[in-house]
Amino acid sequence: MNSGTGIYFDGTTSARLSVTVDLGPSALRILAADGRLLAEWPYAGLESQSAPDNILRLGLRENKVLARLEIIDPQFATEIDARADSIDRSGAMDRRKRANVIGWSVAATISLLLVAYFGVPALAGRLAPLVPRVIENKLGAAVDAQVRSTLDTRKAGAAFECGNADSERPGRAAINKIIRRLETAAALPAPLLPAVVRRREANAIALPGAHIYVYQGLIDKAESADELAAVIAHEIGHIAHRDGTKSVLQAAGLSFLFGMMLGDFVGGGAVVVAAKTVMQSSYARDVEASADAYGVALMNKAGANGRALGTILTRIGGATEPGMKILMDHPETKARVAAINAITPPRTVTPFLDAAEWAALKKICG
Amino acid sequence: MTSPDITASAGGVRFLGDRKAYWRLLVRGAGLLMLTLGIYRFWLATDMRRFLWSNTQVDGETLEYTGTPIELLLGFLTAIAILIPVYAAFFVAALDLGPLGRWSGLIGFLALFVLGQYAVYRARRYRLTRTIYRGLRFHQGGSAWRYAVCAIFWWTLTILTLGLAYPWKEARLERFKMRNTYYGDLAGRFDGTGLSLFLRGLPMWLLIFIPLAAGVTALIQSFDWKALSDAVAQSGDDVLGRIEGSNPDLAGAIVFAMLATGAAVCIAALLYPAFQAVLLRWWASGLRFGEFEIHSKLRTAQVYGAYVRFLWYSILFAIVAAILSIPVLLLVNVFMGGADASVGKELAGSLLVLIGYVIVALGYSTIYRATVLLSLWRFTAESLELKGIAVLAQVKATGAPSSALGEGLADALNVGGI
Repeated sequence: MNSGTGIYFDGTTSARLSVTVDLGPSALRILAADGRLLAEWPYAGLESQSAPDNILRLGLRENKVLARLEIIDPQFATEIDARADSIDRSGAMDRRKRANVIGWSVAATISLLLVAYFGVPALAGRLAPLVPRVIENKLGAAVDAQVRSTLDTRKAGAAFECGNADSERPGRAAINKIIRRLETAAALPAPLLPAVVRRREANAIALPGAHIYVYQGLIDKAESADELAAVIAHEIGHIAHRDGTKSVLQAAGLSFLFGMMLGDFVGGGAVVVAAKTVMQSSYARDVEASADAYGVALMNKAGANGRALGTILTRIGGATEPGMKILMDHPETKARVAAINAITPPRTVTPFLDAAEWAALKKICG
Repeated sequence: MTSPDITASAGGVRFLGDRKAYWRLLVRGAGLLMLTLGIYRFWLATDMRRFLWSNTQVDGETLEYTGTPIELLLGFLTAIAILIPVYAAFFVAALDLGPLGRWSGLIGFLALFVLGQYAVYRARRYRLTRTIYRGLRFHQGGSAWRYAVCAIFWWTLTILTLGLAYPWKEARLERFKMRNTYYGDLAGRFDGTGLSLFLRGLPMWLLIFIPLAAGVTALIQSFDWKALSDAVAQSGDDVLGRIEGSNPDLAGAIVFAMLATGAAVCIAALLYPAFQAVLLRWWASGLRFGEFEIHSKLRTAQVYGAYVRFLWYSILFAIVAAILSIPVLLLVNVFMGGADASVGKELAGSLLVLIGYVIVALGYSTIYRATVLLSLWRFTAESLELKGIAVLAQVKATGAPSSALGEGLADALNVGGI
């Protein structure tokens, strides 16, 4: 069968033309009803276009106009298909191309996960020291305002910060003594901005821009000035490592990687949130471990007892912690204490405060 | 002289697509979406469009979609490259404590809204220039920025009027789009008016807002405002208790307001298909290309039918998913149940739960696409009556393909598109 019928659109007008198609040796010839040659398309340049299943719709590759030839007779369509390698009626070529794409997409996904796990913290770690102090201070001020407004309950009429009333002054002097000793040993580039705040939880936090908040609950739980000092030394570690800035950079990097590149499909939002949470918890565990190491080293350098950190962590954290390990933003207390004790040789130490000073510090919040 | 073919099936719009083939395409696509964490969406979107376009026959000739997934992917990457500095700028601005920083959230929202509307218009342009009919392409002119400004104005008005301005917004924006739409050298226009849509939609609007308004009114009237301000002014705890004491009717009013709101939400959900039918009919009946006119006789019952089909498949899917989830949950329990599960086991368990969730979410979205969206396309297409179809045979080619940047932006900003 060397000739058949088709419908032709010449690509310059929308007129529908019934044509005769002759299959030549290297090209098909499209002839009008009156025998005039409308077009001659070499087989090598033919492209099948998307069409309903029962129609073979052909175009010419790199044609300036969108001329189309439609063949309805299935037998004649097979004849043309047999002559042109580029026609992909069964979709086999398209499937192969697609399998390729899927392979690459999976590889890209894995690579993005690896970048998120290894690349983002490494990058944030390198970039954080390059962030100018001015910007870090601005960031710190913004975070500080937010933290104050969430922590400050304004209840009971007492001031949020402890140590400003007359009866609280000796306590403040005592904690300043601890901080001065640690600060001297740490030799930080910027002065610390410490404050004791009226919160029941046994906790302390460090913010970008050298803010440290020690909670009243921590002072209540501490049994010696060394324990309190050890926690503060750990927080100084966060400041020296610029962990606040690092975590902002990490969060931005993760949001970009997962939020923009991946997960734009129904149900993908949950994948992004889960991946981000697990990754961020994993970063946080590393950060806490290295702040522990810094804190212990700082305590040793200041001539104090580094193991005090382990003692107070055990008291606060307890023996077992509920919840899933992959969601915890601190390493397990057991593991932390073991690591702390491993780097602290037992030796003679100078305590931070005498008994009277410690008693005053205990009453810093009235 | 060549003679136009007269054997081709006469006028009207037909949909030739096989529902099963579309299901296959969507289910395979959903699986690959999950495997590639969404990167496959460019391929799936192209497949869906090819299917819908090439199975829609107008006057004996089917449409053709010539867009490619790679174009969409490149459009998306370009959009990302544009959005990174924008996001970075907001990030830095938010750190600034000056007035710019304080307003950066609002400014950011407005900027992204305008950019989103810009993307919507550009995405439409991409789709039109990839739509071929009888060997000629559609195309779209007009400034996407002007469209975005126009859209933000009308959206604001719509929100301020509690939706009453919605018909005029639709009419105005559709006129903007269609005035700039061409099939070859044949210019389009839109003849639908805001008023006619308003008159058809008003009963539904009233049905929803009357209970809502009744609830709010009851709530306001039950307040003894003076007693209330006294109660709040007194210092100390338990403000709520004192408010309740000074307003004995309040509890009843709150219950009534909640019931009224619930009723309004139920009515809105039940009326939604009817609203969609009204909107689609009105929209399709307003489309014009020169002397070529379209009228739609889409029946409201057809749209309800599409949603009933969706509900039916959803229930079946829910039952199957529930049964299949039992062994998976047992497995998860094995992984995470012990008091001292290792990190690896925890990860495996969480991963199973996450995969299950994604499968369910993707399942519903696939059912929605294969029932509601396909049916709406099909019923709307088949409901069309064409007048002056002869014009379509004498059109000359103009216009060139446009880039897929708009699609990429729309995708990155989550304003639909793909």
